Amino acid sequence: MNTKLITAISLALTMGACASVPLNNLALENARSAVRAAEADPNVSTYDELDLHTARSELDTAEAAAAARDERGIDQPAYLAMQTAQLAQLKASARANDARVAAGRADRDRILLNARTREVNSALLQRDQATLARDQATQEASISDAARNQATQQSAALQAELDALKARPTDRGLVLTLGDVMFDTGRAQLNPGGVRKLDQLVQFLTDHPERQVEIDGYTDSVGTDAYNLDLSQRRADSVKYVLVTRGIDSMRIVTRGYGKEYGVASNSDSGGRQLNRRVEIVIGGVDGAPVAGRIS
Amino acid sequence: MDKTLSNFARISLALMASTVCLAARAGDHFADDRIAVAKAAIEHAEQAGGPEAAPVAMASARDKLVLAETASKNHDDKPAAAWADQANIDAQVAEATAAQVRASKAALEFDASLQALRQEASRGSQPQ
Repeated sequence: MNTKLITAISLALTMGACASVPLNNLALENARSAVRAAEADPNVSTYDELDLHTARSELDTAEAAAAARDERGIDQPAYLAMQTAQLAQLKASARANDARVAAGRADRDRILLNARTREVNSALLQRDQATLARDQATQEASISDAARNQATQQSAALQAELDALKARPTDRGLVLTLGDVMFDTGRAQLNPGGVRKLDQLVQFLTDHPERQVEIDGYTDSVGTDAYNLDLSQRRADSVKYVLVTRGIDSMRIVTRGYGKEYGVASNSDSGGRQLNRRVEIVIGGVDGAPVAGRIS
Repeated sequence: MDKTLSNFARISLALMASTVCLAARAGDHFADDRIAVAKAAIEHAEQAGGPEAAPVAMASARDKLVLAETASKNHDDKPAAAWADQANIDAQVAEATAAQVRASKAALEFDASLQALRQEASRGSQPQ
């Protein structure tokens, strides 16, 4: 304040010398430059015209006092003009920044929305892919279930067929025994009971074309070996004949006559001898290999 | 006619009385009102961070308020009002400075966060 007063006084003294020049002082000079700065500030014209207007009218008052050489009337309006011009710039700057942030928020919200949309789309895509994968897995599982069920069913069906044949598993394969009662006494011809029993075997061999068959004929020990070998062979051939006439490929069938060999019971009584007079049909495996021969 | 004149006279008297009353009141509180405004501006600026952002302007406002109050006590109304007006504008400048600093800082921080978000967004969109 002191310097301003001194300046004002010295200015007044200087100006007093030339009365035609309007009174001037530092406060007025400061006010002018502050108002000019505020006028040049683009933020002020946009955001705080009101304070600039007030600053201008204070400056006008100060200028009028200077023009009227009213030295004591200059300082107060000049100071108010300077401070109000500065106030205009400060307020305008703050409002400009606020406006920039507000505009930026719209940008930020758009970016966030885009990012969120992308996330959602990505999540949806992943969910769809997961659903697809799960569906495929379910489908595959049901297919494998079906395959297993089919295999189980096939296995069960085979078992049922084998049960119907009354075939028993042995080292050489499944063995179906046609007892003596299926043949006429001393002859190779199958009786109707024996033919009926072969029906199930024909069905089985038709259903499983890969399986080979060996038909072995056996007798008891009564009679000569030559007779028994011949009879056992003819009985085996008789069975093959029936199978071939029912459509089974003769190439799948091997016949052997073993005579009195490999008896399953004692030949010392009639019951045992009846058991020994038989034809055994050995069914090969699924691999289609020929049935292994008897080891003597 | 007499009645009308007396009515007019009464109204005139009442108007004159109230004008005198108002003038007397205004004269009594010529500086006090401006001082009250300056006080309010200083208090507002103090709460709005003026002392931290613009300590010089704040101190100037307080000093001028004291000068205004002293002048008012001495019934020097004109200088009291002048000091009060200066104290008021100084306080407003201090408060506006604080607001400007805050807004500027907030804008810079916002710019930085927006920049980070843009980079994040462009990175997030690339692998897609």
